[in-house]
Amino acid sequence: MAITQMDPFAATWLQLEDRTPRVRLTANPDYWDKDRGPRLREIVLRNDLPFEEALDLVCTTEGEVDVLSGVSPADAEKIETSEYAKLVATDAVFAVAGVINRDAEGLPLADRRARLALNLAVDRDRLVRETMFGRATPLAGLAPPAAVPEEGRLNPHPHDASRAAELWSEAGGAERPLRVAVLGDLEDVARAVAADLEGSLGVGVDVVVYRGEEELPVRRRLAEKKLAQGWDILILGHGAQFAESVVAELHRAFVGATGEFRAGPVVPEFESLFVELAAKTTPPEQAEVSGRIDRFVRDEALALSLCAPQALYAVNRHVDFTPYKTSFEFAETSVDNEHWSRR
Amino acid sequence: MVEETNQGNGPVGTINVLDPSPLNWLYITYNTVEELVRATPDGTIEPAAMEDYRWLDGGYTLEVNVREGNRFPDGEPLNAHSVKRAFDEVMLWASPHPPGTQFNFAAGTTLEVTGEHSVRFHFPEPDGQALGKLRAMHVMSTAFWEGPGFGYERQGSGEGHW
Repeated sequence: MAITQMDPFAATWLQLEDRTPRVRLTANPDYWDKDRGPRLREIVLRNDLPFEEALDLVCTTEGEVDVLSGVSPADAEKIETSEYAKLVATDAVFAVAGVINRDAEGLPLADRRARLALNLAVDRDRLVRETMFGRATPLAGLAPPAAVPEEGRLNPHPHDASRAAELWSEAGGAERPLRVAVLGDLEDVARAVAADLEGSLGVGVDVVVYRGEEELPVRRRLAEKKLAQGWDILILGHGAQFAESVVAELHRAFVGATGEFRAGPVVPEFESLFVELAAKTTPPEQAEVSGRIDRFVRDEALALSLCAPQALYAVNRHVDFTPYKTSFEFAETSVDNEHWSRR
Repeated sequence: MVEETNQGNGPVGTINVLDPSPLNWLYITYNTVEELVRATPDGTIEPAAMEDYRWLDGGYTLEVNVREGNRFPDGEPLNAHSVKRAFDEVMLWASPHPPGTQFNFAAGTTLEVTGEHSVRFHFPEPDGQALGKLRAMHVMSTAFWEGPGFGYERQGSGEGHW
């Protein structure tokens, strides 16, 4: 556990996985909501296969893997051309963004102009088109578009390399290369961002990738905020359990006083807005304040906003799978008469 | 193309799933456990074990009507007392939820059983995020609490195991 503050107590858990090889979920046929489900008698969660093998199996066989989550955009075409599987996609309530270390030594990242320069330096349209294979949406603040009604969506920062260079210079520029760190499987995103920063700002950029258990000390150090961070921008992905709670989960995590990803001083204006949000109990009121919070985060460039990826699944052709934007659930999922388990 | 499903005929078929997400443990919970609310495929909140709700006292009180006729798989009725037990259990711990304390109810929150199928949450400050937090308050049977619990039997603690 990493403790962010003691009063009121705020903490997050740093997890290591120890999965059972196979987990079997059996339907409760007496569940009250018959319209919803369950429609499947049994779901077997397989933890006994490496991802790449599971991807091959779902594309080339039946009876081994019926649903594979966490498909990367680069693998989408393989599924789309498969005889056995289909690609299922949904715009997820999930953001890929950079934590900006406002305490970084030797860089002016406490200055809004410098943070704005970082945001203007990134070509989000190209990032989505080339790195994400078109399977993502540019991010304006931190709220994924899937969590915001169309009329309330903000425009992302434009790509404006010359304005970015001006602002970067006005803020004092860099005395050393920028250090871009990245968690998990987002290395390609970090490399694309680094190239944009180098090209727009004329700075050197070093990229460091943390994978698997290497992530834990990075996450702990960031959540606890007692030691200096070893990076200037940390790129990671984070989602929300509900569209309505996106600010409480994403914006709070990146910027809030209790935020496990906040790198820099508490922002009083943000905290005031967050208190205002907590007092709202109707969806329209909550959406209005949430929109102002997202606009504040975008305008103050309190994060490096990048993109909201689609959640991609490889699904056997005889399975009717309903993807969730915030979760991974099977109540509505069913199989047809040709499915291997019904022949 | 799916030509025919089993809707209306009871659950049929088996699927094999591989989910590398670090939240796989949470998705297993969501697929197997009842809460007062759940997510729709679009990611919005909808009632589950809760029939309906209303806010009172300017956001200091949330009144919840629990769906009648709902039972746990072992046959025990799911009612206001089940909700009270779940609330009492989650409030035992400083940091029960692995993602973090953002899903906690504030210290000083209480729950009052006002009927066989109705409860009231009383908050020390208005908590507009409370509906979403209800999904992290898993409503379980007596046999669960007095058996494995969330890490109780195996770890001797519910901290970080909800």
